[in-house]
Amino acid sequence: MSSLYDEIQAIRAVYPDDSESAVLPALRRAQQEHGWLSADVLREVADALETTPAYCKAVASFYDQFHLAPIGEHLVEVCTNVSCAVVGAQQVVEAFESELECRAGETSADGKVTLRTVECLGGCGWATIVAVDHHYRTHVKADDVPEIVQELRGDEQRGD
Amino acid sequence: MSSPELVTVTIDERTVQVAKGTGMVETAAAAGIEIPVFCYEPRLGAPVGACRMCLVEVEGMPKLQAGCTLSAQDGMIVRTARSSPKAAEGQNSTLEFILVNHPLDCPVCDKGGECPLQDLTFRYGPGNTRMTFPKRTFEKPIPISPLIALDRERCILCYRCTRFSESVAEDGQLVAINRGAQSVIATFEDEPYRGHFSGNVTELCPVGALTSTQYRFEARPWEIQDVPTVCGLCPVGCNINATTREGKVKRILSRNHPQVDEGWLCDKGRFAFVHLHARDRITAPLRKAGPRRFEALDWDEALDLVEEALRRGGHSTLTTLSGSESVEEAYALAKLLRRGLDANAAVLPEEVPDALDAFRAPLSSLRDAKTIAVVSDTPVVERAPVVDLWLKAARRAGAAISYGSPDGRVDALVTDDPEIAASVEATNVYFLPLTPNGRGVADAWSAAGDGEPVDVKPRVLVISGDEEALDPAVRAVATEAEVVIGIGLFEASFRGIADLVLPGTSYLERDGTTINLEGRLQRQRRAVLAPVPDVLAWLSKLGARFGVEISPYSSVEFEEISARCFGGISYGDVGPQASLPPRAEHQPKTQKLETGSLRESVSASGGGLRLVAYKPLFSGPAVERTPELQFQRPAGEVQLARADALERKIRNGQTVTVSSNGTALELRARIARDLAAGTVRIAVDDAGDLHAVVEVKA
Amino acid sequence: MNNVATEIVLKDATTSLAEYEAAGGYAALAQARALTPEQVTDELITSELRGRGGAFFPTGRKWSFVPPKNTLPKPHYLVVNADESEPGSFKDNEILSRVPHRFIEGCLITAHAIDCTNVFVYIRGEYSGPYEILVGALEELRDRKDIRGDVTIVVHRGAGAYICGEETALLESLEGKRGQPRSKPPFPAISGLYASPTVVNNVETIATVPPIIAMGGAEFAKLGVENTRGTRVVSISGNVVNGGNYEIEAGMSLRDIIYDLGGGIPDGRTLKAVVPGGSSTVILTKDEIDVGYDFESLAKLQTSMGSAGIVVLDDRCCIVQLGIRFSEFYEHESCGKCTPCREGTRWLTAILRKLEDGRAGEHELDLLLDVCDRINGKCLCPLGDSDAIIVASYVAKFRDEFVAHIEEGGCPFGGASSLDHVLAPVAMHTHSPVAEVPA
Ligand SMILES: Cc1cc2nc3c(=O)[nH]c(=O)nc-3n(C[C@H](O)[C@H](O)[C@H](O)COP(=O)(O)O)c2cc1C
Ligand code: SF4
Ligand code: FES
Repeated sequence: MSSLYDEIQAIRAVYPDDSESAVLPALRRAQQEHGWLSADVLREVADALETTPAYCKAVASFYDQFHLAPIGEHLVEVCTNVSCAVVGAQQVVEAFESELECRAGETSADGKVTLRTVECLGGCGWATIVAVDHHYRTHVKADDVPEIVQELRGDEQRGD
Repeated sequence: MSSPELVTVTIDERTVQVAKGTGMVETAAAAGIEIPVFCYEPRLGAPVGACRMCLVEVEGMPKLQAGCTLSAQDGMIVRTARSSPKAAEGQNSTLEFILVNHPLDCPVCDKGGECPLQDLTFRYGPGNTRMTFPKRTFEKPIPISPLIALDRERCILCYRCTRFSESVAEDGQLVAINRGAQSVIATFEDEPYRGHFSGNVTELCPVGALTSTQYRFEARPWEIQDVPTVCGLCPVGCNINATTREGKVKRILSRNHPQVDEGWLCDKGRFAFVHLHARDRITAPLRKAGPRRFEALDWDEALDLVEEALRRGGHSTLTTLSGSESVEEAYALAKLLRRGLDANAAVLPEEVPDALDAFRAPLSSLRDAKTIAVVSDTPVVERAPVVDLWLKAARRAGAAISYGSPDGRVDALVTDDPEIAASVEATNVYFLPLTPNGRGVADAWSAAGDGEPVDVKPRVLVISGDEEALDPAVRAVATEAEVVIGIGLFEASFRGIADLVLPGTSYLERDGTTINLEGRLQRQRRAVLAPVPDVLAWLSKLGARFGVEISPYSSVEFEEISARCFGGISYGDVGPQASLPPRAEHQPKTQKLETGSLRESVSASGGGLRLVAYKPLFSGPAVERTPELQFQRPAGEVQLARADALERKIRNGQTVTVSSNGTALELRARIARDLAAGTVRIAVDDAGDLHAVVEVKA
Repeated sequence: MNNVATEIVLKDATTSLAEYEAAGGYAALAQARALTPEQVTDELITSELRGRGGAFFPTGRKWSFVPPKNTLPKPHYLVVNADESEPGSFKDNEILSRVPHRFIEGCLITAHAIDCTNVFVYIRGEYSGPYEILVGALEELRDRKDIRGDVTIVVHRGAGAYICGEETALLESLEGKRGQPRSKPPFPAISGLYASPTVVNNVETIATVPPIIAMGGAEFAKLGVENTRGTRVVSISGNVVNGGNYEIEAGMSLRDIIYDLGGGIPDGRTLKAVVPGGSSTVILTKDEIDVGYDFESLAKLQTSMGSAGIVVLDDRCCIVQLGIRFSEFYEHESCGKCTPCREGTRWLTAILRKLEDGRAGEHELDLLLDVCDRINGKCLCPLGDSDAIIVASYVAKFRDEFVAHIEEGGCPFGGASSLDHVLAPVAMHTHSPVAEVPA
C-alpha cells in the first residue's frame, strides 16, 4: 500500500478538522510522486482526503503548476512576461524549441524535457528567468540554452 | 424573539420599509422593482456576486455595486437600470459580455420560452453584436449522466449548478474545471453525475446548458400545463409540478414549499415518473392463467370474481397495505373490508406513535436547530432524501449533529425507529417512516371501523400495492392463503402470487391526500388520466355489492374521514401549500430509554460490527422501470464510521473483506460521517448472505 | 538624492538565526511582547505604515478591525501574502531569501498584536528557493520556544495562479478551494480564513514591522514623505542596466531610481515608458518620470506604486504589443468567476491582436476603449479592472502608435519590437486543454 495515503493524513493533521486546506499540499505531494495527476492519482488523493475526484480535479485544474497530462522527466519553464520578454525571453524559448526539437507546450521526443512558457516568475530584475525543475536560473540568454539542455540530457547518460 | 429592526430604503425614488439586512433583490421586489439576476439564488447560500447582472448604483459609492450582495441599511438610496443610466449601462455590458460566447440557438433550445437569459436580453440587452471573433464551441451535448445533458456553449458560468453540488447536496460531483475563459462545467472524467439530487441543476440553470434528457425536445413551453401536486415516492412529500403535454407527464419540477422541501427534489421524485408507461403496467383486471401468467378480464367479470372471493374470505380476510395508497383509497378499501365483511385484520405499513404529535415541527425548523441527534440505521438520504438536505443545511449553519445516542437533550431528533422517537429528549422529533403515506393509511384504516380482528388463519389475502406484493414476508403469507387479491400497477409484482389483480393508479393519476413524515396533510392532484378507472370508482361499485357506501369522489371520502381524523377540515382547505397542524398536547414521558444501549448492544456482544442492510432510495418498482435511473443504484460499498476504520487500519476507498460466520464479501470501504461507531452499512442488494454481525478487514 | 539605498528591511541580510540574533534580531519581538496588543497596534498606527501589497491600506488600522475575542469568540488568524505574482515585482522573493528571520519576527509581533496563535504564510508555488529558506529558518526556531511562544507558523504553498494574491482568493485557496475572490463585505478582518477574523498582510509589510517596533513608530514616520512613510523595496526590471531590488526611502524620484539605482537604459537605447508599480498600474511616458516615488505624487499622474515593480521600457517596445502581452496575462489569470473579467479580458486581447495585425479599422479603437469602459468598475475584484485601466492608459498616452497600426495596416516596428511574437502561456495549451472546435 502506498505511503501517499498516510502522508496525506499527516498533511491533514496540520489544518483544522473539516477543512479542505490539505488539498493543495496533497496534490503537490501526489504529483511529486507520480510526475503528473492522472485520473487514478486524483482518485487516490480524493480517497485519502475523503473528498471526490471531481473536487480534486476542479482544484488541480485551476492552478498552473499541476499537470493533468504526462510531462517529461524534466520541466523547463521560461517566463515570457514583459520584463523577461523585452530582454530576449522569446529568443530563449526559441532556442529551447530548436535544441529540444519540440514546440513550447510539448515534450521532447525522447521524453526527457517538457518545455513551456509561463507567466511572471517573480525574478524580473534578473531576466530572463528559466525555471528548470522548479529552480530558477537567472540572466539566461539564448546562448546558454544548449548547455542547459545538455545538462538535462546528460542526466540520461549518468543513468540517474 | 424581538421583532426585526425596520429600515427605510429608497429604490428608484420609491421608498420601502424592510427588515434591516434584507437582501437588496428582495428589498427592490418589495418596492415593486426588479433587479435582474443570474447567479443570485438565496437557496444556494451566501450571494457570490459572480455574474454582475444585478449592478445598481448606490448613493455614496463611486462604483456600481452588485445588488445581490447588498443588504438593506437605513437611508440607503439605490438606483437600478430604471432610473440610473450608469446602472443601465452596467447591465447592458454584462449581457453583452455574456452573449459574446452564447450561441443564441434559442429556436432549438429546450429552455426557449422559459429562459431567464432570453427574458433579460429582451429587456436589458444590446440589440446587436459587436463581437467579430469566433465564439467558443464545444462538442455537444455532453451527457453528464443518463439523466442530464450539458450544452457547454450555452453555459454562462453562473456557477449555480456547481454551488448546488458543492454546498447544498454536498456531493462534490459537478464542478468547474480549468480557469478563466477556459472554465467549463464537468464531472470527473467521463463518469456520470451520481448523487441523490442531481436533477435540481436542470432547474437551477438559468439557460439551456443543463437539460433533462427525458425532456429534451419533448415540448415547447406554450404547449404544456403544470399540475401542482405532491410527490408520492417517499415520506417527505415534496411539492411538485407535473408538466404535462397531450395527457402525458413530460417532466416533474419542484414547487417550492419553504417548510417542506425548499424547492429541492430528489432524482427518484423527479425522474421516476416514467413508470407510468412501464411495459408491464396493468391496464385491465387480471386473473391467474398459469404459474407466471395472467389473463385480462372484463370489469364486470372481475368484480364478480372479487366479490366471490371476498365473501369466501369473510371476516378471515387479511389485508396488507403498502403505504403508497392515498388516504381516501385506504379509507375506502378499509370501509369495504371492515364494514362490508367485518374483516378487521390488517398489516399496516408501520406504527407511528401518537405521542410524536407533541413534537411535530416543520422540516425547515431542522435548519435552525443547534443540536441534532440522528439515530437512524438507514442513511437518512436513502429513506427521506430531502431531510438529508435540511440536515446538511443545519450543519453548515453550525449545528452540532451527533450520530447514535445523544448525550442530553437535543433541539431535534431524526430517527427511523418509532420506539426511540418516543423516548429521546428532544424539542422537535422527526420520525422517518418507511412508506410515503403510512401514517395516512394507518389513520384511514382505524377510522373505517372499530371491530377487532378474529384470530384465525386468513383464507383470503388482499395485497394493496406493488411494494407490498414484493415483500418476502407478505409473499410467505400469500402461499398459505386460499385466494390472493392484488391491487397494483405492475404485472411483475404480482406474478406467481396473486389469483386476481385489480389495477391501481399512480400518485400522479389520482386525486387525494397523503400525510408526510411531519404529519402534514397534503393534496395530490391528478396530473394525467390513468389508463385504468380510478381505484375509488371500482371500490365504490364493490362497496355497493356489500352494502357499504363508498363515493367515487375522493372529496366525499375525505370529508368523511376528516371529521374523524383531521379535525374536520374540508378538502378545499388542503391548499396547494399545506400547513402543518398544530402540535398535540404534550404527554409527559413515563420512561426514558437508553438509545445507546439499544443500538449498540449487538456489537458489544460479539466484538464485531452491527450490519445494517439498508434499502436504497434508488430501488423499488418505480425505479426499476426507469432505465435512465439505473446508474444511480449504489455501487458495492461498505460504509464505516471513522473510528472503526482507524481501529482496523482501513483506508477510505480500499477494498475490504466483510465477513460473518461462513460468508465473506469484498466491497469498497467508505468512511461515512453519518454513522455511529460500531455499525456498518451495506445496501441490501450488496449485502448478500451476511449476518447481523460482521467483521471488516483490510 | 543619491543612490545609497536606505535599508531597514533588507539591512543585515542573513539567513542564519545566530547571525540575526547577534545583530539584535528578535529584540523587537521581546519589546513588543512587553507591550499590550493594543499598544503594538498603536505603534503601527503612529508609524503610518501602509500595506506594501498594492492596496496601500494603513496597517495599524487594519489590525485594529479585528474584533476582540470576547465579542466574537473565534480564533484569529494572520495570513501573510507571499503570493507575489504581479509582473514586475520580485521584492518579496528577495525579502524571504535574504532576511527570513526579520520576516518571521514580523509575523510573531503581528500575531501578538492581533491576539493570534496561528499564522499561515501563503507562498506562491513557484518560489521553491524562498520556500526552502523560510522553512529552514523556521526549522532553526524549532527548539526556541522563547521566540516562537505559542505561535504556529505554517507555510502553505500555492500552485500557480496570480489571482491568489488577491486576499480573498488567497483565503479560498488556503481553504483548499479554487482561488476565486469572495464578494466583500464581509471583510477578512471579520470573516476571513475559516470564517474567522483574519489579518492579511504582504511579506514586506510584515518585514517592516520589527524595525518599526525597534525604532518606534514616530521615528519610522520621519522617513519618507507625507502619506508615504518609511522605505519601500522597489523592484527594477526591463530595459535597465542593473535590474534588481533596492530599498529606498519613499519619495525618491523615479528618474533617480531608474538612472542611479538601475543604471539607466542599456545598449545605447532611449527610454520610452515606465510601468511604475507592476503590470496593473497606469503607464508613464518618458516625460513623466520626474516624479516622487510615493503615493500622492503618483496619484497626481493617475497611477500608483502598486507593488513597486518598476518596469522600464526602451524605444523598441511596441505599445500595442505591450497591451497584448499584459492583456494575455490577465486573460490567462482571470479566475473565471465574474463575467466582465472572464469575457472582457479575452475580448480585449482579441481586439488588440486585430489592431497589431493591421486588420482593424478606426472604429475598433473606439470599440477597444468602450470594452475597457464596460469592464472597468464592473468586476468582482480589481483583476479585470486593471486590464481595462492599463489598456486604456496605453491608448491615452500612445494613441498615435495605435493609429499608426491602423493606418499602416500593421506594426510600425516591422518585426523589430522587443515584444515581437512573444509566446504567452494563454496561447499555449499545456494545462488541461479544453476541446475547442473552431466556429
Ligand atoms: C489581482 C490582485 C493580485 C494581488 N496580488 C498580491 C500579491 O501577490 N501580494 C500581495 O501582498 N498583495 C497582493 N494583492 C493585494 C492583496 O489583495 C491585499 O491587499 C494585500 O495582501 C494586503 O496586504 P497589505 O495591506 O500588507 O498590503 C493583490 C490584489 C489583487 C486585486
Ligand atoms: S451549466 Fe447552467 S447553472 Fe451551471 S454554470 Fe453554466 S449556466 Fe450556470
Ligand atoms: S445576480 Fe448579482 S452578481 Fe449575479
